[in-house]
Amino acid sequence: MTTTLINTAAHSAGYSNKLLLPHWAEVVKIIPEAEGVTTFHLKFTDPEVQNRYRFEPGQFNMLYVPGYGEAAISMSSDLETANGLLVHTIRHIGNVTRATTRLKVGDVVGIRGPFGTSWPLEAIEGMDVVIACGGIGLPPLRGAIYRIIHNREKYGKVTLLYGARTPSDLMYPSEYETWQKAGFDMQVTVDRGDDQWTGRVGVVPMWFYHFRVDPHKTAVLTCGPEIMMRFVIYEALARRIPTEHIYVSLERNMKCGQGACGHCQQGPYFICKDGPVFPFSALENIFNVEEY
Amino acid sequence: MTDKTLIIGSTVALPKPELDLLMADLRRNGFQNVGPHLQDESIIYTKIDGLKDLPRGILSEQNPASYRMIQTGKDRYFDFIPGGQSWKQFLFPPRHTLFSAVKDGKWQLKENDEPAPRYALIGVRACELAAILVQDKVFLREDFSDPIYRHRREGLFILAVNCLDPDATCFCVSMKTGPRHTAGFDLCVTELDEVFLVEVGSELGRSLLAERNFDLPSAFVQNIADQAMEHAAKSMVRTMDTSDLPSLLAGQLDAERWTEVGKRCLSCANCTLVCPTCFCWDATDQVDIVCKSTRRERVWDSCFNPIYSYIVGGNTRPNIRSRYRQWLTHKLGTWKDQFGVLGCVGCGRCITWCPAGIDLTEEVAAIRAEVKA
Amino acid sequence: MVPAEELQSALNQVPWFNSLTPEQFIKTAALAHLRRAKAGEIFFREGDKQDYVYIVLEGRVSLDIFVPHHGKVRFYTAEPYDVFGWSSVTPSVRQRTAGAVAVLESTVACIDAEGLRQLAEKDHDFGYLLMRRLANVVASRLMVTRLQLIDMFAGPAEYKND
Repeated sequence: MTTTLINTAAHSAGYSNKLLLPHWAEVVKIIPEAEGVTTFHLKFTDPEVQNRYRFEPGQFNMLYVPGYGEAAISMSSDLETANGLLVHTIRHIGNVTRATTRLKVGDVVGIRGPFGTSWPLEAIEGMDVVIACGGIGLPPLRGAIYRIIHNREKYGKVTLLYGARTPSDLMYPSEYETWQKAGFDMQVTVDRGDDQWTGRVGVVPMWFYHFRVDPHKTAVLTCGPEIMMRFVIYEALARRIPTEHIYVSLERNMKCGQGACGHCQQGPYFICKDGPVFPFSALENIFNVEEY
Repeated sequence: MTDKTLIIGSTVALPKPELDLLMADLRRNGFQNVGPHLQDESIIYTKIDGLKDLPRGILSEQNPASYRMIQTGKDRYFDFIPGGQSWKQFLFPPRHTLFSAVKDGKWQLKENDEPAPRYALIGVRACELAAILVQDKVFLREDFSDPIYRHRREGLFILAVNCLDPDATCFCVSMKTGPRHTAGFDLCVTELDEVFLVEVGSELGRSLLAERNFDLPSAFVQNIADQAMEHAAKSMVRTMDTSDLPSLLAGQLDAERWTEVGKRCLSCANCTLVCPTCFCWDATDQVDIVCKSTRRERVWDSCFNPIYSYIVGGNTRPNIRSRYRQWLTHKLGTWKDQFGVLGCVGCGRCITWCPAGIDLTEEVAAIRAEVKA
Repeated sequence: MVPAEELQSALNQVPWFNSLTPEQFIKTAALAHLRRAKAGEIFFREGDKQDYVYIVLEGRVSLDIFVPHHGKVRFYTAEPYDVFGWSSVTPSVRQRTAGAVAVLESTVACIDAEGLRQLAEKDHDFGYLLMRRLANVVASRLMVTRLQLIDMFAGPAEYKND
C-alpha cells in the first residue's frame, strides 16, 4: 500500500570501506644499521601509486605487516636522490617492528600515508639552523638534512648535533662525511665511549655551552627521546631563541594516522595530524605536564 | 471535516497500535527497526518489530552504580530512561571487518564492502540525538570522513521520544541538550496514557505518518503534554555548571582531585563503553596460525585501556590518575578545541554504570572548588 | 719552555681570564704553562696526586674510568675552553678520580693547583671569581652527568600495569 519512499539501492551502491586500506610495497633493499635497527628501501608494487606518492620530511607512514599490525615509521628518504624509494629506518622493539626482522628482499608490506606535519624547511630559509637529535631521532630528520643540502645557499650556518648511547648506536655513520662536505657543522657525541672512540663524549644539549647562537635568526629542529628534547629546548630558551623557532617532533601511540582513533592525543592535539612536528610555542602549556 | 494535511511541524494524536503499522511500513521500505528491548533483566538496543518488543510498563531508577527497573503495569512504552547501551553501536559498530588478506605467493587484499542495514532508530531521547550530532562532528569532518559511519548515518531514520521522567543521574538540562527535542528527528513522540503525540520533523517522517490513522490533538491534550515536559525539565536534580568549561580543566591539570579520584577509579572502561559520544577505536589483525590469511578488524577501544598510550619509550599514561584525567579533560575540555562542542550530553550513563559510582558532575565541582581554595 | 707572550695570548682567549684584574691575571699566568699533547698522550691517571687544573685550548681530551670487564670507559670529552681536572682546586679531594688522555692533538693550559688555592686564600676577591667559575663548571658537568645517568637512549621501558 505504501509507495517506496526511499531508494534503498542508492544507500548500498558504491559503498566502500576504504578505511585503513594499505597499498602494497615491495622490499627492495635491506641495510643493517646499529644493533636492533634496520633500514628498508621500499617500492610500491603499483607503479601508479608509486608515481603519485609525495611526502615532506617529518611525515610518517603506517607500515602494515599482515598478521601482526601496523607501526608508525618516519620517512627518511632523500627526496631528490631516492628514485621514489621509500626509506624507512626501523628499530625492532615492538611486536610489529620485530616482525620486520623476518622480511626478505621481495617481500611485501602494506603502506598507508604519508601522514602528519612536516619540518618547516621553507619557513626557516635564511636562518641559521641547529638540528639537535639523538638515537632513533635522526631518521625523521634525514630527509630534512638532504633537503637543506640540496638548497644549501638558502640557509645560514647549519649545525647537526647528534647523540647516541654508544658509538655502535650511531645512525648513518657512513653519511657524516658527505654531510660535513655539504656544509654541515657536524657535532656527534655519545653518552659513553670506549678507548677507540676519539669523538665527543657527552650529551647533545651541552653543545649550547660551547657555541654562540644568534637568537634572532636561529631555528632549532629537534627529535629524539623526550627528555633529550626537553633539555635542548631548555638550553635554546636560555639563549633567548623564540618558542616559535624551536620545532619539535613528538611521538605518541599513532594508529590510524588520521586523527580518528584517538590514541595519539596530547592535550587538544592529535599528534598524527596536528603533528608530529610542532613549533614549541604550540606546546608550551602541555609539554611539561607529567603523564598528560 | 478537519484538515488532516500534514506539514513539517504538525503534531498529531496517534493511537498506540498505529506505531506497529508505522514500523511495518518502515520495514517494507527497507529499514531495519532497532530500539529498546528488555533482555536478561536489562534494557538493550536491538532489532524490534513493534510494540510487543518494547519495555512495556517499565520505569527506571538510576543512581551512581545503580540501575533499577520498576514495573508500573501501565500501558506505556517509553517511561524508562535508557540503559547502558547507546545508539552509537549502530553508526559506529563495536566490531567491524575492514578487509581480509590472503597470502598466495604475494598478499592479496579483499575489502569488506558489505553494505549495512538501513536503520530506523525507534525511541531516541534528546540527549541521545545530541550525542549523534556530536559524533557527526567527530566522524564526518572535512579532513577525514569515516566511510563506515557515513554510510550508516546517511540513511538513518530517527523516531525521537521526549523524556517525561528523568532519573537522578540525568543532567541534560545543564548541558542544554534536553529533555525536550527541538530538531534533527524524522518523527518525535511524546507519550500520553492513551495516545502518542507525534510531531513531524522531516519529509520522510511526514510521508510515513500521513498513511496512518490519527486525530488532531485538542488544545487540552497538547497542554497536558507541554506540562509534562515542563515538569520533566524542572524535576531534574543533577546539575553541572558549564560556564567555565573548557578552560577550567585545562588550567587544573595539577589538581589534587585527580590523585583522589585516581584511587577510586578502577580503569574498567565502563564509562567509555556506555558513553554515547566516546569514539576511540583500535585495529587488530585476526590471523590464522600459519599467517597465511588475516582479517583486519576495527574494534572499540578506551583511553582507560592500560596500553592505550603505550609506546616503546614507555607508557605515557602509566597510572589510573593520568588516564582518568585524560578522559575527563578531553570530554569536558579539549573536545571543544577539537570539534567545537563539548563531548558530554548529560545522559548520566557514566555515573550509573561506573562500578565505583564516580560522578563526573561531582568531580568537576570538586576541581572547581580547588581553584577557589 | 714556551715564551711568555705565547702563554699570555693563549690565556687571553679564555673568557674567564677577562674577568680578572691585570694583577690577578699576571699572578695566575705565573702559575700556568702550555702543554702540547699528541693523540693518546696521558695527562693523568686515576689515583694520581692532583697537581694541575687544565683548560683545553685546542683539540679534545677525554676523561675515563676503568670499569672491570668494560675496560676504560670514556664518560666525558673536554672541548676547547672546557676545564678538566677541576677537583684539584677544591679543598677536599686529593686524588684523581678519573684519567685524562688526549684523543686528538691538543694544546692545553696547565695551572698549578696548589698555587691557585693559595692565591685564593690570600685574595678573597680572586677566590670568589675562581669559585664562581668553578661552580659553573660543576653545574654544567652535573647536568650532563644526570642526562647520561638517566640513560635516555635505553631500550624499551619495562611495561608496568597499575
